[in-house]
Amino acid sequence: MQAVQFIYSKVYNLLTKEEFINSAKSGKVLARKCTKCGHLHLVTTYFCQNCGNKGFENVFLDGKGSIATYTIITVPPAGYEKCVPYAWVVMKLDGVDLRISGFMANIQSPSDLPLGTRVKITGYDERGILIEKM
Amino acid sequence: MEKVCVIGAGSTKYGKLQDSITDIAIQASVDAIENAGIEPKEIQAGYISNVFGIADKQVHLGPVIMSDLGIPEVPSLSIESACGSGSVSFREAYANVAAGFYDAVLATGVEKVTHTGTEWTTTYFSYCSDFFYEGGAGASFPGLFASMARAYLAEFKATEEDLAMVAVKNHDNGLLNPKAHLRKKITVDDVMKSAVVASPLKLYDCCPFSDGASAVIICNEKFAKKHTKNYIKVIGSGRGGSPAALQGREHITTIPSTKLAAQAAYKMAGITPKDVDFAEVHDCFTIAELVDTEDLGFFEKGKAVEAVRQGMTKLNGAIPINPSGGLKSKGHPIGATGIGQIVEVFDQLTGKAGERTVKDAKIGLTHNFGATGASCAVHIFKSV
Repeated sequence: MQAVQFIYSKVYNLLTKEEFINSAKSGKVLARKCTKCGHLHLVTTYFCQNCGNKGFENVFLDGKGSIATYTIITVPPAGYEKCVPYAWVVMKLDGVDLRISGFMANIQSPSDLPLGTRVKITGYDERGILIEKM
Repeated sequence: MEKVCVIGAGSTKYGKLQDSITDIAIQASVDAIENAGIEPKEIQAGYISNVFGIADKQVHLGPVIMSDLGIPEVPSLSIESACGSGSVSFREAYANVAAGFYDAVLATGVEKVTHTGTEWTTTYFSYCSDFFYEGGAGASFPGLFASMARAYLAEFKATEEDLAMVAVKNHDNGLLNPKAHLRKKITVDDVMKSAVVASPLKLYDCCPFSDGASAVIICNEKFAKKHTKNYIKVIGSGRGGSPAALQGREHITTIPSTKLAAQAAYKMAGITPKDVDFAEVHDCFTIAELVDTEDLGFFEKGKAVEAVRQGMTKLNGAIPINPSGGLKSKGHPIGATGIGQIVEVFDQLTGKAGERTVKDAKIGLTHNFGATGASCAVHIFKSV
């Protein structure tokens, strides 16, 4: 996969997962915009899901949006034992047709996080993409 | 294309089993072979579905099962497609028989995980998600379906009690199934009071981790007629895919792969959802059964809740859903589940379902998916 990413990103001048993680740390979402139809994708897509085109350009989106849906996890997978309870959320990014999911600490009950709550991406670590209330 | 039939079906009990993964796979396979009234030597290929063989120290199960059946020379394919492995495997078996490559084949699904404990299974099952975005950000499988549930409850003004009614109904059916994992009558109150696993889903909204194996013999019609009168026909087979991660779906309360697989299967069968007499659907969590029955076209979007409230999906309802007890009560040995659903349809349509028989049923449908529906297969069967 590393080799494929390298060749692909070289040819198409595209930034990859590593830069996606770095941009998340500064509150941005690195996305891929189809050069043919303009459809937006997250960084792990290599062909346009809308038109099949292979060409993308790098786009840095503001990591702000609102909660589309979420859960509060009380029985966690390994590595998250000390985080319980926490939320895993899907957020809709502002101004674009793109959603991204991630980890939210310190969510105890559904009353802490009504659907539509304004949130932003604040980082990335061993818990995944980190999201906090705005 | 050859017409394809199922002429034999067998299953172990689902639950916490003591025997090894290969032992239970063999038990189900032998059960299916004897039920079909054939000899192992008549089997021309094996399709073996399994996800976590590694948990019981046996992957590459195909050749082991073929060898134990006395037919080591017979080719086999070991298939993994998360919780949808069984139906995807059946589809490959179906396609090869339909294409004329083989006259008769064995499809066996098996899983053995209960000895690993809740943390291992919760963790390893999360590897079936789109891990970078989901499992790798703390999402468990109950968590992913809980996220679907929260969106569904908000969009369609449904309640957690509505979800609980699905579990109650499936437990009622499972009580009539001697091979079911959780044979226990429960109430809406029991579900509501069970421990929260991933809000809004509680323990009784979730299917159990199960061990178990199921097997069927698939063949062309000429082979079927030569061996038995007790067979069913495969009249529809469809597959579909969805964006692997929930975030990639425009609507989180619908599963695109189910719709695609169902449309293809209905088209092949030349029927509509109204023609289906009963269905075994993928109810890994209570919310899934509501979403499935809408995506399969039994109810309009958002109307499955009302159908459950009215009892339409009960054993004696207008469209019985999961007469076996479903994944919720019968259990969910993930590699076996898709085959187990077909065993139930076989038993129903050949008069072997006992107390849980769906009255006057001629057409049964199975719906089984992997992960949050990233992969899916739907099959439609008809009695002869």
